[in-house]
Amino acid sequence: MTALGYAFAEAWTSIRRAGRSAAVSIGTIAVAFITLGGFLMASVNVQRVLDRWLESAEVSVYLVDELPDEVRTALELHLRQQPIVAAVEFVSKEKALARFEADFPELQDVATAVPQNPFPAAFEVRLRPEEAGGPDVDELTAGLSGRDGVADVRYDRRWLTRLTNVVRTAQLAAAVIAGVLMLGAGFTVAAVVRLSLHARRGEIDIMQLVGAPFSYIRGPFIVEGLLLGGAGAIVAVAVVALAYTAAARWLGPDLAGFIGVAQLQFLGLREAVVMVGGGFGVGAAAGTVASRSAR
Amino acid sequence: MIETQGLGKIYGRGLYALRGLNLTIDKGEFVFLTGPSGAGKSTLLRLLLLQETPTEGEVIVAGRNLSRLSRHEVQAYRRTVGFVFQDFKLIPTKTVFENVSFALRVLGTAVEQQRRRTYQVLKWVGLQHRLNSFPEELSGGEQQRVAIARALVNEPQLVLADEPTGNLDPDLSLEIMNLFREINAGGTTVVVATHDRELIKWVGRRVVQLEHGQLAGLAEAPK
Repeated sequence: MTALGYAFAEAWTSIRRAGRSAAVSIGTIAVAFITLGGFLMASVNVQRVLDRWLESAEVSVYLVDELPDEVRTALELHLRQQPIVAAVEFVSKEKALARFEADFPELQDVATAVPQNPFPAAFEVRLRPEEAGGPDVDELTAGLSGRDGVADVRYDRRWLTRLTNVVRTAQLAAAVIAGVLMLGAGFTVAAVVRLSLHARRGEIDIMQLVGAPFSYIRGPFIVEGLLLGGAGAIVAVAVVALAYTAAARWLGPDLAGFIGVAQLQFLGLREAVVMVGGGFGVGAAAGTVASRSAR
Repeated sequence: MIETQGLGKIYGRGLYALRGLNLTIDKGEFVFLTGPSGAGKSTLLRLLLLQETPTEGEVIVAGRNLSRLSRHEVQAYRRTVGFVFQDFKLIPTKTVFENVSFALRVLGTAVEQQRRRTYQVLKWVGLQHRLNSFPEELSGGEQQRVAIARALVNEPQLVLADEPTGNLDPDLSLEIMNLFREINAGGTTVVVATHDRELIKWVGRRVVQLEHGQLAGLAEAPK
């Protein structure tokens, strides 16, 4: 039997023998990874929403009232000639009022209470997705602000950029918390491996005396940590999947309607692989550290 | 086979367990280390097994200076040495067969060869009918025979035994000593630490007498 086969066989026996303490170790690492998985899933979905909003972000060019047609036409032509512009739609004052009344029927009285239509005509400029947020957009909006016939220019990506920064900060904080939890999980795995090492001290002494290679002496403990960590991460992915299924079933339609994406998304394959790989990695590292005294 | 030059081992605050020991044991020789408790017998065996390192002097075994071995060389050296202890040092969770084959298994020996050699050596010590027993199911004499089988399974050049009959009655002790004589007859160097003078007389081989960590005498015991 190779050193690897021997290490797996011995580690499996040791985990079965450890019973409850191994289960506690798997549970602890699972909690850390459930937290990480929850953050990752939330992050994936928030990012999707942000990306969608960013893609649909547009520049609104509000026009002064009673703008001569030739000035409006010249402005529209100018906008359409810009390489970063994907589409331009003219929204007249009447159309803007109609939209308001359709979107906010309960506020119809407000719109009709004023003597004349308060909504300005505007050009709604859809940008090419790859250009959104780029320096050319800033240049375009700056140029439009001072142009004849333009009352105001609004680019709603700015608040999205701020929101993205807030989300990134939250993601970083979540990563730090998950890192601390994983460190704790690593210590738990190391403690279980140390217990196993203590229980097999006599065996280790004999292995050293018969001249067993170090891979045979330490290997089982490293593999034990690896298996505990990996099992914890797999449990965590399963729990996150269950939580996702429940959330998608009970909250999905409402939440999806609110955030504007078709449905919630589970962790991508990459995130799931990173989680499980991380579990194996944390476990193996803990096993390696804990088994140093077995040399 | 074994040569010590000015060998010394100090524990704690300057307490000598061995002091200035010069000793030569030839290849194929059977030697008893004897002396009262604390004379340094077990310390010498621990130094020969590299469980400890000397404080002063040198130990040379089969041309290798044990003080100069790297960690990996220490493991390689130990594969050439068989050991037997008073408390048997068997793994309680493994069967007789597993305890013996363990020494071959961890060296990566082919499974078929492990089985054949383990059975061979267990048959030689008369335990071929207890292959699947656990150590706690065996008598003291049987446990020591398992330990001897484990020491021999790698066909070592040198066998070290520390009070191997310390936990056994006189009849079983003679049985164990007979096994050591047979091992030695095959050309293996055997070093046995014991304070049992009757046993030494009965076996009748060279005796190294230690006292207070120093060589107190060399004698050929009467047969």
